[in-house]
Formats: sequence, structure tokens, C-alpha cells
Amino acid sequence: MNVRSSRTAALAIAIISVAGLAACSDSDDAAGGSGSGDVVQITVADLPPSTEEARREQFLDKVAAFEAENPDIDIEPAEGKWEANTFAARLASGELETVFRVPLTEPQALIARGQVADITDEAADLPHFDTVDERALAPVQDESGRLFGIPTDLYAMGLLYNRELFTQAGLDPDDPPATWDDVRAAARQIAERTGVPGFAFPTINNTGGWVFTSMVYSFGGRLQDDDGDEVSSTLTDDPAVEALELLKAMRWDDQSMGTQHLSEALEVVKAFAAGQVGMVIGLPSQYRDYAVQYSGSPEAFGVTALPTGSEPSTLLSGAVMMVSPKASDEQRAAAVKWIDFNYLRSKHDADIAGEGAAAQAADGLPVGIPKVPFYGDEVVAAVLAAESGHVNVPLENFQPFVDRLEGQEFVPEPRVAAQEVYGALDSALQAVLTQQDADPAAELAAADDKARAAIDRAQR
Amino acid sequence: MTTLTTDRPVTALARPGPGRRPRRRSRHGLAALVFLLPTLVVFTYFGWWPILRGVVLSVQETNLVSDPRWVGLDNFRTLLADPLLWTAVRNTAWFALLALLFGFPAPILLAVVMSELRRLGGLFRVLVYLPVVVPPVVAVLLWKWFYDPGNGLFNEVLGLIGLGPYPWLQSTSSAMPSLVLEATWAGAGGTVLIYLAALTSVPSELYEAAETDGASVWRRLWHVTLPQLRGVLLLMLLLQVIGTLQVFTEPFVLTDGGPADSTVTILLLIYRYAFVYGDYGLATALSVLLAVVLGVLSAIYLRLTRSWSTT
Repeated sequence: MNVRSSRTAALAIAIISVAGLAACSDSDDAAGGSGSGDVVQITVADLPPSTEEARREQFLDKVAAFEAENPDIDIEPAEGKWEANTFAARLASGELETVFRVPLTEPQALIARGQVADITDEAADLPHFDTVDERALAPVQDESGRLFGIPTDLYAMGLLYNRELFTQAGLDPDDPPATWDDVRAAARQIAERTGVPGFAFPTINNTGGWVFTSMVYSFGGRLQDDDGDEVSSTLTDDPAVEALELLKAMRWDDQSMGTQHLSEALEVVKAFAAGQVGMVIGLPSQYRDYAVQYSGSPEAFGVTALPTGSEPSTLLSGAVMMVSPKASDEQRAAAVKWIDFNYLRSKHDADIAGEGAAAQAADGLPVGIPKVPFYGDEVVAAVLAAESGHVNVPLENFQPFVDRLEGQEFVPEPRVAAQEVYGALDSALQAVLTQQDADPAAELAAADDKARAAIDRAQR
Repeated sequence: MTTLTTDRPVTALARPGPGRRPRRRSRHGLAALVFLLPTLVVFTYFGWWPILRGVVLSVQETNLVSDPRWVGLDNFRTLLADPLLWTAVRNTAWFALLALLFGFPAPILLAVVMSELRRLGGLFRVLVYLPVVVPPVVAVLLWKWFYDPGNGLFNEVLGLIGLGPYPWLQSTSSAMPSLVLEATWAGAGGTVLIYLAALTSVPSELYEAAETDGASVWRRLWHVTLPQLRGVLLLMLLLQVIGTLQVFTEPFVLTDGGPADSTVTILLLIYRYAFVYGDYGLATALSVLLAVVLGVLSAIYLRLTRSWSTT
């Protein structure tokens, strides 16, 4: 190759490289893109994977039905799932769906960071929305009451217990623990008589702090003092200290919590499904992981409400549908319409509810897990009646939970820097469960320092 | 010998006719630039530009949706006020020190021993390199099971000879050494191969002379092998210090920084700031600080060791 042709080749390579990079940098700015003409295009997450054929088909049918009902809206379904560590990058690059699902631990942080759209006006026009339980909307509202998401599944935290281990340990599975002293005694009895840890607690990936929060609530405490303007940390208050002292006593005095103390909540549920733990704090909805994913025995699954003190209260958890802040006005309106069509109709339209329950049952997915009611009593009663024919979970095993949940106040997650606070609590839990000489009050004081720094950061 | 044979042509090339030199240089320069352009563009786009953006982001607050807000040194001030930062700095330094004490000599000794093997050398090389082939996260998850305090491999095996059970990752005092052990196992293979390659360049005459003088194995290692390897050793030491100060996978997968923050490292903290708490300004501020510290450390190290290095 002579000098001239080598130079030409070099130039060609250079041009191709620059052109290639320029092509790579071309990004789609709008979430889902907005359509040409009068048709509004939106992308929606939550398309079930092909392994859940019936639900996937049902989802795609719903998309088709929605588009037929709304010819001016074009929907592109995607299998997108919530991932905290990719959310911001997907949002920035325009890859985030217009409508996406978020666990109830996240909305307050997303609202504070301005990473979700305000849908107050669009949601107000939805059918039966005026009957929605205010407690259900609190986790997705800001201080001024503006709405940023619509909860689709709400559950109250409870105490999951293995009925077979209860029987083996000489405990009555139909009369599960009603107080924390009962929980401690039952855990000790299970550990002594079966050799299996009676109680397990997650401590990593912020899930320990999340579960501990529900325990503090059940002791009558809160993690933050919120006067509407300023939020301050209250991790050193008595209820939190009492809760951590109880865990310390169960771990070291009773030896009823085993030796593995660096697990996250899902790993704890997995161990529970395998019959390796007697009791864990969890959600009734985790029956799905328990039975479908980890093949736990339905007969062995038991759930009751968390023990409560003088002010009965429990942590609310679940999932929320939210809308991309990059959506245009038309896309936002279309997104809320889709949320109602796909997620809310089955809660206020009995016919749709019956069809949905049938499809889930056909896929071998659990139907009938008790949820926190979203709409008013009349609406809920009609829906439950339509679903009743397809219930496939052992309802009697959920009965203690349903009975004892009556009258409990549902408390949302801490409003400011919840994940940071959970992370700080993780460390305190790890210290108390791995070091016999750890002082719960001192560990909570250290966690409180970290929580205060995080809350200050979030409020700056 | 080589110098003698190549001296003339090099000189001839370096001294062209006085009238033609500038033009030829400029032509060569242009061609070189054109050939370099694709690489420069790729480096600029994927390397230097993100670094620059990182520095800019460290003085901004952003939610990646609306325009970023300039906050000056606010992120750095907030960072220095976080009680967990100093814990992470201490832990990272502790990891680096432990890795230096145990992880640095191990590959050298392995390489020296393997170079002495007349038979089965290939097999040992494969066995030592095997952990490098296993994907890091898979290896770490495997070790998570090894370390399980209940029915993990280590406690099971040690139990057979009446030792343990040990808490391994479940104790604030043993968690970090456990991470170092895994990291040493995972990283030794590649380093051993580099040392083995370097060992082949040590002239055998030196060993023969040492043996003639009656030097023991230990003296041969101390007075022949290590001085001959010092260039590679100093480079590997620098790379190890930089690598260990950026440790992430082990604490992320094995302990999530626990128990009680005893394995929270600087990179784990950066990850949490960015991907758990969504504060990109804070995360990049800490990244910039870390890069500056590493740069300064490297410069000091290179200056201090300049006279020792063979190169």
C-alpha cells in the first residue's frame, strides 16, 4: 500500500469511526417517544415473561383491547422491571417506559428527586377514585397532597410461620403468637425441639432496616418525627431500642435465631420456604415466592398479623404504578388511562376481576391472598365475590392475619431518605446479631447519626 | 551487540537532508494523526469525556431529568460530613494492608516454587490460573457458601479435625480477612503467570554462579531472583495498591458492607450514593477524591522507587 492509499484508508477509518459514534450518541429523548399526527405513543412496563404464557397473552390482549377502545393511543409493551441501580440511567437515556412499576419503598425518594410525573389531575377523573382509601394514597403523595403514583397492590406486614414446624415443636398452628413475648417463646421452643432456628431476620441490602421498621411500628414507634416541614430521626426512641433488645435476647440468650446473619429478605423467605426457619416477618403476598418460586408446601404456610402494642399499627407495603417525568401532557393522560384499564378495573369491575383471577389460576399463580382494600366497601365486596370461585390458596391459613389485622393503622415508610435510614439500621442489626457484647442502644445511636446525616443531605 | 548493528541505520534515519526534514515530518505527522484519529475519538468519547463529565458532575446536583444545578463544593462538604466516609476509608486501607501482607507475597512464592518444578509445572499453572477463569461474581458466591457458618465447606472441613466453627463473614473482626483470602485466591493466578514470565528472563548464569558459591535456595531467592524481578515487583505492587483501594465485588456480594459496617469500602459507598440513594453528585465527588488520592499515591510511589527500578 502506497502512502496516498494508506492515507485515504486512514481517513476512511476516521470518518467511519466518527459517524459510528455520532450514530451511537443519537438518543431518543422522550419516554416512549411521542407519535406522529394525533396518535399518542406510550411504552408500558410489566409485560409478563414468556414463561407465564397465559398472563402474557392476557396482557397482550388487554393492550389490543385498550388500543381498540382508544384508537388515539398506541401502546408498546415491554418486560421492564424495577431495578434501583439502573433506574436513573434508563430515565436519563430515555429508555425508561412511560408507565412503570415501583415497590412501595421507593416513591417518596423518587418524588423528592423529581423523577416521577405529577398525575393528580389525570387520576381525579378515574372511575370510583373518590372512594379510594386515603391511607393507600399517602405513600405516593408529597407534603402538599399532590399524587405521583397509583398503588396497585397493597399489603400489610405480618408474621409468616411454618405450621408444620409449629406442630413438631408442640405449638398450636391455629393459635399463632399474639404478643412479642409469644413470638420469643415460640422461637425458643421451635429451636429447642426441632433444631431449626425459630426466627430469622434479614440484615443486608437495606431489607433488614425495612423489616425492622415494621417491628418498630408494631412496638408503637416511628423512625422519623415529621412536623410537615422538617423531618428528624427518632431511631433512639424507646420502641426501637426495645425491639432491638428483643432480637438480641433471642439471638444470644435463647439461641433461637441460628448463625447466619448476613441475609437479605428474599433469602430469608427462601429459607422459610425450605422449612429451615420457624418464623419470619414478611408480607402475605410473599406466599407467591414461597409457593411458586421456592416450591414451599401450601399446607405449611401460616401467616398472622404482627403483634402490636397500645397503638396497633403496621407497615404498609406493595407496588405502585408511576409515570415518567419525561412524558408529555398527552402521554401522561394516556398513561393514567392505561393504569386504570390494566390495574384498577380488576379492583372496581367485578367481571374483569373474575376473568383476571381465572387467568392467574390457569397459570398456577396464587389467587385469594388478602390485600389491603383500595376502594370503598361496596366496590370491594362485588370484586371479592367475583374472584371467590378461583381462589386457590389455603384461605384458612391466612385467617389469623385477616382477623388480627382488623383495627390496625397502616403506616407508610419513612418519608425522607428511607433507604439510607434502612441502611443505617442494617448495620445496627448486624452488630447486635453478630457481636454478643453489642449494646442495642449504642448501635441505634450510631445508626441515628448516619440517619440524621442522610436526612440533612436529602433536605438540603 | 545489537546496539552496534542498529546504530548506523537509526542515525541515518534521524538525520535526513536538511532541506527535506520539516516537510517529511509534517507529512508523517499528518498521516500519524489521521491514523490516530479513530483511537483518539474512541478514547475521548468513552474515556476522557466521561472523566471530564464526572468532574463537572461532582460540583452539580442532578436528577438526570431537569437541568443540573451548580452547587460548588457542597457535595464535597456533605461527603466529608458523612460519618460512614471515614469508616470506609479505614476499611479500604485495612483491606489494602492485609492484601499487601498476605496477597502480595503469595504469588511470588508460588511462581518461584512452580518455576523450580521440573514435572507437572503445566498442571500447576492451570490449577493456579483456574480461579481467574471463573467469573468473579460466581467465585465470590461460591466462597459465600464456603464461609457459611452453619454448613459451609470451611467449617465442615475444619470440624473434622476438631476446629471451629468459626464465624468468618459473620464477625466484625474476621470479615475483612475473609474477603482478603478470597480476593488473594481469585487474583493470584494472573499475577503468578506474570512472575513466571519474568523469571524466564533471569539469566541462568547468575543461579549457576550462586550455586558454585554455595548459596542456599533461600539466599538464591533473596540475592538473585528478587533483585532481578524488582522492576516487575514494583509495578505489580503499584497495580495491587491501586486495585485493592478500589475493591468492590467482594464486599458487595459477600457482606454488603457488614457486619456493622466492618467491610464498607470506598467503592461500595460510591455505589450506594449513586445507585441506592440516587445522589450522583455525591457519588462523583467521592470518585473524584479517590482518583486524586490514587494519582498522588502513584506519583509519590514512582518518585520514591525510581532509583530502585531496573527500568
